[in-house]
Amino acid sequence: MVRAMVFSPQDAAGALRDIEAAQARSAKLHGYARSAPQLLLWGVLWVIGYGLNDFFPAYSGAIWGAVVPIGLIAGFAALRGTGHDIGWCYGAVALTLIAFFAAVFLVLWPINPRQQAALIPLGVAAAYVIIGIWRGPRYVATGIAVAALTLTGFFLLKQHFFLWMAGVGGASLILAGIWLKRA
Amino acid sequence: MATLRAIPAGESIEFARLKAILQATDGNLGSHIATLEGAGYITVSKDFVGKKPRTRVALTRSGRKAFAQHIEFLRTILDAAASRHE
Repeated sequence: MVRAMVFSPQDAAGALRDIEAAQARSAKLHGYARSAPQLLLWGVLWVIGYGLNDFFPAYSGAIWGAVVPIGLIAGFAALRGTGHDIGWCYGAVALTLIAFFAAVFLVLWPINPRQQAALIPLGVAAAYVIIGIWRGPRYVATGIAVAALTLTGFFLLKQHFFLWMAGVGGASLILAGIWLKRA
Repeated sequence: MATLRAIPAGESIEFARLKAILQATDGNLGSHIATLEGAGYITVSKDFVGKKPRTRVALTRSGRKAFAQHIEFLRTILDAAASRHE
């Protein structure tokens, strides 16, 4: 590419450092931009899903049976729409999460709807923290916020936990999405 | 190119996003992109999202290869200097 230029070892070391820093910054910010629409989408779906769950607890299964597939399809479409070549990875991640939570529920059964509704956001929060350890501090902050809000609602607002998750949990995901989008 | 290389192969990035990451001006980035596109190192695609125009930039296979060679070239300079000191 630039072989005609004369590089001293110091120049070469500096150039490699700059390249590494540029790549790390790009990977982090590109990842944030890729994740932002997903957080916004799932924030809205949490508002709808948990909100409906609070008002119609008897239809919990039907509500989430509709909300989760809608979220997965819309999430896939959002990624494709922004030019990300995700191939089979998105489906594999979705299947892994569904299988993981199905296995957890099976192991812990019987668990009540509140426990089910708390376990999923806690699992998602842990995933964000783990991703953030490698991919950027904003994921860590998002995961910690979601976990803290879920636990707060679970232990302090027993009667209105679903409403809490709809309002505060959903809003926190939406705000995190905006925060990542603006990074 | 280092910024584009961090994006997975086959994926593209929007011009506005690239500008924000690089903290570059429209003119400066546009000039770099035109040069790299002319060399066949990147592709530029334009479309519309609704009524809003969108420009996306992606590293080509030859761009990725050329940049990898450049990095290799920088490393050989360091290796040569290190072997001279041994």
